[in-house]
Amino acid sequence: MRESRLMLVQYATAVAAVALVSLHLIMQGVIYPYATAISFNNILSVYRNGFYAIFLEALLVVVLVHGFNGVRIILKEFRQSKPWNMWVDAGTVLAIVVTVAYGTRTVILAVFGGTA
Amino acid sequence: MTEVKLAVQRFDPLKDARPSMMEYDIPRREGMTVLDALLYARDYLDHSIALRFSCRQASCGSCGMKINGRPRLACYTQVAELEGEKVVAQPMDNFAIIKDLVTDLESLFEKHREMMPYLVRADKREIENPSAEFLMKPEELEKVLQFTYCIKCGLCTSSCPTVATDAKFPGPQALAQAYRYLADPRDEGGEKRLELLDDAHGVWRCHFAGSCSFVCPKGVDPALGIQLLRRHVLSGKSPRGLEKGAKVWTKPATPSQK
Repeated sequence: MRESRLMLVQYATAVAAVALVSLHLIMQGVIYPYATAISFNNILSVYRNGFYAIFLEALLVVVLVHGFNGVRIILKEFRQSKPWNMWVDAGTVLAIVVTVAYGTRTVILAVFGGTA
Repeated sequence: MTEVKLAVQRFDPLKDARPSMMEYDIPRREGMTVLDALLYARDYLDHSIALRFSCRQASCGSCGMKINGRPRLACYTQVAELEGEKVVAQPMDNFAIIKDLVTDLESLFEKHREMMPYLVRADKREIENPSAEFLMKPEELEKVLQFTYCIKCGLCTSSCPTVATDAKFPGPQALAQAYRYLADPRDEGGEKRLELLDDAHGVWRCHFAGSCSFVCPKGVDPALGIQLLRRHVLSGKSPRGLEKGAKVWTKPATPSQK
């Protein structure tokens, strides 16, 4: 993918992350008292709310893509060679896929009644 | 005070293991520039000081160096304007040292060349045998004018934190010049220029520290040029492409051209 497209993804996920994280913090800190918000039962009920589960999945994807793409940018400044660029790109994709898959597993298990 | 204390970084890569500082007492005179002080030191106190200079009027960009920690032109910096007890002259950062205050600017010029700092025209015959002069409207010139003031002194590049870490990053000087030619309505090489800039080590690696614009002695704002470049790289269109129906404004050939 062209660098400009990757940067567009970076900017778009940054804007989305600001919106999603703000909403998440409002939900966790304002709507519910903090102590209640992080209780096991509350978290499980939040996951089982379909809308909120989708919201959390979106938050997961947006933050991980933004974070790992940011690390990719930093790593590319350390060294300047084609093999390094290739490894960094491959590592970034792998890291995003693995962490999104693991996070999604947590969401799915919580939604369908398992223990994450 | 009648004297200026001048500290000069001395380093010969062929002989010295590490740089050292040498101090000289220079008689102060009104209107004295740092270049004047350095030339006095070289002429009367130590002939071995190596420094590069030429025009003495901030036109050639030869005497770029770090003065009291900030990249400046020695000929354009008055001793009186500097704070601190002494004037400290060091070579520019981000360039290899040839000797003392003289740095190797080859990488600067090489990156400048890579940006194709000339007008690209599709019609080669028109370039070789022009039938008319390619003109710009005043408002078109205004968009690129400040970038044409670049004297290639390298101060912006020496102050850039990204250049310090990424050797492939073109640097603010080259990127500002890339914008200068991309935004020129007479240029037809936009597509090629955008492709060149849209690289893992290209225009996106600027962190917008803004130090390039801060140190430029000619009032060029390379950081602005880089931000404008990004807009065009993202859209995939050069400014010429953005303006629908944009045409090069030509005037009839003079009798000698016919």
